[in-house]
Amino acid sequence: MPKIFNLIRITLLLALLLVTSACGGQTASQEDGALQGTITVSGAWALYPMMTRWAEEFEALHPGVQFDVSAGGAGKGMADALAGAADIGMVSRDVTPEEENKGAYWVAVTKDAVFPMVSTENPALAELQSQGLTRAVFEGIYITGEIKTWGQAVGKPEITAEIHVYTRSDAAGAPETWAKYLGKKQEDLLGIGVFGDPGLLEAVIKDPMGIGYNNLGYAYDNASGKPVTGGIPIPVDTNENGQADPEEVLEAKAEAVEMVATGKYPSPPARALNLVTQGKPKGVVQAFIEWVLSDGQQFVGEAGYVTLTSEQLQASMQKVR
Amino acid sequence: MIGRHRRDTWAGALFWAISLLPLWITLAVLAALAVRAWPILDAQPLWQLLSGQTWKPIQGLFGFYPFIAGTVWVTVVAMVLAVPPCMLTAIYLAEYASPAMRLIAKPFIDLLAAIPSVVYGVWGMVAIVPWVEHTLSPALGGWLGQSIPLFAVNNPTGFSVLAGSIVLAVMVAPFIIAVTYEVMHTVPNGLRQASLAVGATRWQTVKYAVLPRAMPGVIAGVVLGSSRALGETMAVLMVVGNVARAPTSIFDPAYPLPALIANNYGEMLSIPLYDAALLAAALILLLIVLVFNIISTLVLRNFIGRSQA
Repeated sequence: MPKIFNLIRITLLLALLLVTSACGGQTASQEDGALQGTITVSGAWALYPMMTRWAEEFEALHPGVQFDVSAGGAGKGMADALAGAADIGMVSRDVTPEEENKGAYWVAVTKDAVFPMVSTENPALAELQSQGLTRAVFEGIYITGEIKTWGQAVGKPEITAEIHVYTRSDAAGAPETWAKYLGKKQEDLLGIGVFGDPGLLEAVIKDPMGIGYNNLGYAYDNASGKPVTGGIPIPVDTNENGQADPEEVLEAKAEAVEMVATGKYPSPPARALNLVTQGKPKGVVQAFIEWVLSDGQQFVGEAGYVTLTSEQLQASMQKVR
Repeated sequence: MIGRHRRDTWAGALFWAISLLPLWITLAVLAALAVRAWPILDAQPLWQLLSGQTWKPIQGLFGFYPFIAGTVWVTVVAMVLAVPPCMLTAIYLAEYASPAMRLIAKPFIDLLAAIPSVVYGVWGMVAIVPWVEHTLSPALGGWLGQSIPLFAVNNPTGFSVLAGSIVLAVMVAPFIIAVTYEVMHTVPNGLRQASLAVGATRWQTVKYAVLPRAMPGVIAGVVLGSSRALGETMAVLMVVGNVARAPTSIFDPAYPLPALIANNYGEMLSIPLYDAALLAAALILLLIVLVFNIISTLVLRNFIGRSQA
């Protein structure tokens, strides 16, 4: 019998330890002025690389703070934040009124865009790069399905290669934003559903006849500043003059960032990236988001993201304070 | 003496309560899902939900048929692929293999069971999907595809029922092999010796003496594998194509129920009835697995009853 009591005592002790450590994130002690606690972040693939960078820098500044960052799509970020499974949800699309009613409190922290992607082995690559594709053609490929071959897409019937349409299977910001650009919702996008940003990129690179779309951070290789090996963003023919103008050809990440920042790349598919909390952020989470909006902004360009205008940043800051 | 007796009674009661726990948990999960799924079951007729072909939550269309069909297709094709080689492997290991061979092969088969499903998914994406696209679908889709709808190629990519089933078949193989092997091991040696003594070959011994005795266990192994296949999420979701249309060929993309739940878990908060619909999907999946298990238990009972009679 005493043995059993011992066992119960140990179990209770363990449970107590677990409970106290789990609550660490919210009940951060700030007695000595140093920030402490664990911040769990979950959500959009689009924000994931940026968030890991911010987490690293913030941890270096405040050794008492630890991060647990995971990517699983904007939808998961929203659900986790609202359910309390994460302190911060990364959401790479607009926050809906229904979600706000459920307590979602959001601030825009940086900007990103979705780019249509093909493989560098694409049979109509030369035409795609010299002409670009208009919104109407993307609609024909992704919404109505009327455009079935690469020849139809670029106006050269002699190219009969079929278009293999890929989309995201998981509920996420990139497909929602891409669909919004085409005047629809994610559920209306045609194509084979592939999980996650990296998955979709992999599918398109591997398939010469494939078309997909990716966030800035996946469309371009951050180290070289060039499009990712094996893939290339299709110029979006915004002015619909039938050719890809210099500002529509985005051969380097720096160009893409500039076009998104100056608004020459259409929005959507460009959009603000948000951090969502359940109610107004408090304690260490609030301190972190404030830092992201101030000092943290210096890493935005380096990590390959687009900085919001100072008015937008100010508006975000006011929402957090 | 009284103390010992009381302790015994207590222990008995405790074990009884604990062993009933799985039943309570199953019922609790069912009840919780049913409660949360109620809004959609209340708003739309059940038959319309189960037979509906269109899944457009924003327009309020929640047709589960493509997902149920996808689940069944992927599982059935996976079992068709997995069961024959698994049977042969188990028979070989139990009846033919030398102890040294067994010592080497068994750990590797067990290792297959320990690989995380997301690893299987990545492997499926980089290896199986291109293989289906470039090798299997041209090879089987040609004349075979034109004459038999089951092999028709309408999907130009390798993300398909077949890719999902191949990955699943590899995933469930260790379970089927392990159970079958263990059961064949329990068949008494005297039976084999008697069969061999009357001049039967090794294969005849397996076929007429060992397998009939081991059959209930073999069925149990297949059932265990199928149940796992029905619920497998990540690995399948990564290779199956996720298109909400009921497949008609093994080369069509499919969208099984677990993938539906995993893909859209996040979006359910923003659209009316969506969370209820996803929980209804979970409820349907659970019911499919339950019904399947009940039926196979009944079949098994019947089988054991007959073989003992």
